[in-house]
Amino acid sequence: MPALTALPADDSHQRLLDQLDLVSKPKPFRNPAWRHHQRRNKNIKQVISEAQRKEASVMATQNNSGATTPAPEGSAIATRAVTPQPSTGGVSLTAQSLSTMVLEKNLQAQITMANGPVATYSNIESAPSLHPASQKHYCDITGLPADYTDPKSRLRYVDGEVFEVVRGLPQGVAEQYLEARAANVILK
Amino acid sequence: MTISSSRYVQPAREGDGVNGRRSPKPPPRTWNAIDPPFRGYQTLPTDSYSQTSSNDPIIIDNGSHLIRAGYSTSSKPLLEFPADVARYKDRKTNRHVCYVGYNAFADATTRGQIKGPFQEATNVVEKWDYMENVLDYVFSSLGVDNGERGGIGRGIVMTEPIAALGYTRKTMNEVLFECYRAPSVAYGIDALFSFKQNKGSDGIIISSSHTSTHVLPVLAGKAIMSGVSRLNFGGYHAALYLKKLLHLKYPGFPAQIKDYQVEQMVRDQCYVSQNFDHEIAHYLEWTGLEDRDRIIQFPFTEHTVIEKSKEELEQIAERKRQGGIRLQEQAAQMRLKKLIEKEQNLEFWKDLQRRLEGQTKKEVKRLLDAEELKDEAALDRTIKDLEKRIRKARNKDIGVEEPEEQEEQSFPLLDTPDADLDEAGLKQKRHQRLMKSGLEARQRAKAEKAQEAARQAEVQRLDDEQRDTNLDSWLQQRRAKRSTLLQQIKDRDRQTRDLGNRKSLASQIRMKTLASLASDQPGRKRRRGGGDDDDFGANDEDWGVYRTVQTGEPGASDEEEEEDLDGDMRKLEAELLQHDPEFSEAHTMGAARDWTKSLMHAFLRGPRPFDPESQRELHQLHLNVERIRVPEVVFQPSIAGLDQAGLVDIAAGVIESGFGKDGRDRRAVLKDIFFTGGNTMFEGFQQRFEKDLRALLPVDAVMQTRKAKDPLLDAWKGAANWAREPGYKPASVSRAEYEEKGSEYMKEHNLGNVG
Repeated sequence: MPALTALPADDSHQRLLDQLDLVSKPKPFRNPAWRHHQRRNKNIKQVISEAQRKEASVMATQNNSGATTPAPEGSAIATRAVTPQPSTGGVSLTAQSLSTMVLEKNLQAQITMANGPVATYSNIESAPSLHPASQKHYCDITGLPADYTDPKSRLRYVDGEVFEVVRGLPQGVAEQYLEARAANVILK
Repeated sequence: MTISSSRYVQPAREGDGVNGRRSPKPPPRTWNAIDPPFRGYQTLPTDSYSQTSSNDPIIIDNGSHLIRAGYSTSSKPLLEFPADVARYKDRKTNRHVCYVGYNAFADATTRGQIKGPFQEATNVVEKWDYMENVLDYVFSSLGVDNGERGGIGRGIVMTEPIAALGYTRKTMNEVLFECYRAPSVAYGIDALFSFKQNKGSDGIIISSSHTSTHVLPVLAGKAIMSGVSRLNFGGYHAALYLKKLLHLKYPGFPAQIKDYQVEQMVRDQCYVSQNFDHEIAHYLEWTGLEDRDRIIQFPFTEHTVIEKSKEELEQIAERKRQGGIRLQEQAAQMRLKKLIEKEQNLEFWKDLQRRLEGQTKKEVKRLLDAEELKDEAALDRTIKDLEKRIRKARNKDIGVEEPEEQEEQSFPLLDTPDADLDEAGLKQKRHQRLMKSGLEARQRAKAEKAQEAARQAEVQRLDDEQRDTNLDSWLQQRRAKRSTLLQQIKDRDRQTRDLGNRKSLASQIRMKTLASLASDQPGRKRRRGGGDDDDFGANDEDWGVYRTVQTGEPGASDEEEEEDLDGDMRKLEAELLQHDPEFSEAHTMGAARDWTKSLMHAFLRGPRPFDPESQRELHQLHLNVERIRVPEVVFQPSIAGLDQAGLVDIAAGVIESGFGKDGRDRRAVLKDIFFTGGNTMFEGFQQRFEKDLRALLPVDAVMQTRKAKDPLLDAWKGAANWAREPGYKPASVSRAEYEEKGSEYMKEHNLGNVG
């Protein structure tokens, strides 16, 4: 591939661009009547928060209403013995405390969740490490294992020579180094 | 010895023949920074659409870095292109244009407009217009043309991220079903397709791709979604991290470091270290640095000095000589002319003098007045002066060195009291007094000079004497002096550094001084002291204010002082070298600044000297510690400030908690740890993972790891294979189902997400 910086003098480049252009290509596969609705572009934050709100509202409806079908007799609730129940049992009890049963149903849902919660985009993110290995310090400048921290800039450094570099950094550069390991302080 | 100077006097680091490091080496191997990945105009076989039937779906691996697409009938994707779209209104032709994939790199204009459908650093589609452009490009390149019926006429199998968001799938459904009128759509997870392609059934998939790294346990070909874990680090982040590091490492790098170039560097130069802490600690050591240090050469233009030929040089010299001769001649002529003029003048004055003889006093006065002379004495002086000047000029012309007039000047009038003198006498006396004091001052200065020289000699003598008699105390003094000098040099360096920075203390002090100098109101000091006199200048240091106020650019006086400090240092060190048995070459400041022993030099410039004049070397990036520092982030995310556990920790967690009490499943998955995705292709990735995970497993655990046959393409191939199997049809959502059940309707299957 020749260097692209020098464009040919004639219109060959423009012709090439015309060839590459997608707008001018025929698109018989597209539905000419297709109109997408406004504001379909949403960033991930919006999408996740909407999804979470939806989940929460489903939970809330389950908590508050008796709309969900109570679990049938002798279901998992009893076997799991979540609530110590007097063994009177029977339909009357079910009728008495429908709300309890709904709650238990939810509880059951939660229990199954604990075993295999629905994987969502946000909850499959792995947790922070508690392993001591994550406490290792490396020199911010050279990446070598560092024993020292400059109290002024909070940069880690490996030896005296690097320390001189740290102290000689122009304004703002130390923050950029910190930002590279997300240790910078952001004032809002 | 003060601590502050320890940096400079530390002995040279032990090493393999330090002097050998300077010896010339063959030119280093360099890797060129790549050009934009433009592939030119490319055509695909146009009949590929007509060769497939409506039962052969189009497979799209919708990756956030590379998108692969093709018909399920082919063995590999027909299309592979980056998820980049350049869309803008061309000013020249005044119409909208759109370039997708490698086409977006066609020229500087298109490159400047590149955006992608995915949200930055994630695998989630955000800009749907761009997504439509990408799909247009796919279908257009694949030659899709369903004739009268419209639409694409083929089913779609598309990959989506693990635990894809409902909104994204819903919108994708709308686009595929409504805009392209797809007859059916099925989604699946790329990592699972790849695993299937490699005939996996029970195992743990380590999928590290462009935007994320996933750990995904699989049992009997079905993903255990509850055990999935994601680390938000992939090839994108690795390139971003390397870019950040390079920007910090070479702040004034003359070329622009492009994303595609950094990605290439990550791919070509980085590898996973098997023992990171140990390896990185010794990475910059001299031995083997030659091999570890990789040089990336950016394009540059060398400023060549035009060598002048010998004849040209001679011509120039000749021309100069000619010019000089001409000038000399002109000057000689000028002198001659002046000489003649002077002689004529002298003649005139002498004539006047002769004419004055025997004239009456009044006549004399008249004649003198006509020539604007005061008296005869003035005439005498003029003549004498002229004669002297003519003599001098003549001598100069013929090259006779005139002996310095050493006539003992006499000042006879000074002793005569004023009362005995007339007006002219008084004037003469005043003149003589002036002359005398001038002469005396000159003599005094001469004497002082001689005295000073004597004093210097005496100091030197005393110093030598002290050195001879009491070497220890002499050395002590010198060393103390040296450390003060060092401090001064350091202070000076810091000062110059700080003045470049507007917010530094030094700059602020300077601004304060400027303000107080400029202000008309008397300073506080003056008010307290009372009176107008602020004693400025009484102390020599007061004048330093002008140095403080001077701008950061090194002015003439600054330069002088710098020379001075460094010169002093050199002198001092020369003395110490001569007389101090403990002071050797290695202790000098020059040696301490020697690049062969500098860690920073090894870090920035590798094992070779750096010539800041060379454009070639200025346009070089040296990758050394970065080569292992960047891929290490997957194993130690805290390096890049990511607050998540490392990949091995995550995998260990998944293995430990994901499979209930039943040891059988755990044993099964451990036997097939499967790597796929571009970010796992680093050299040593698999070995390192195995080594680290082994340390966390019971002694008797049986573990096996393997890598996908093609970590990049196996997801697409797996999807294509799956589409040919009977399991595909029931897993895809048909158009009728979409219309009846809505855009959020999905079907669960073994290779996809769950609702």
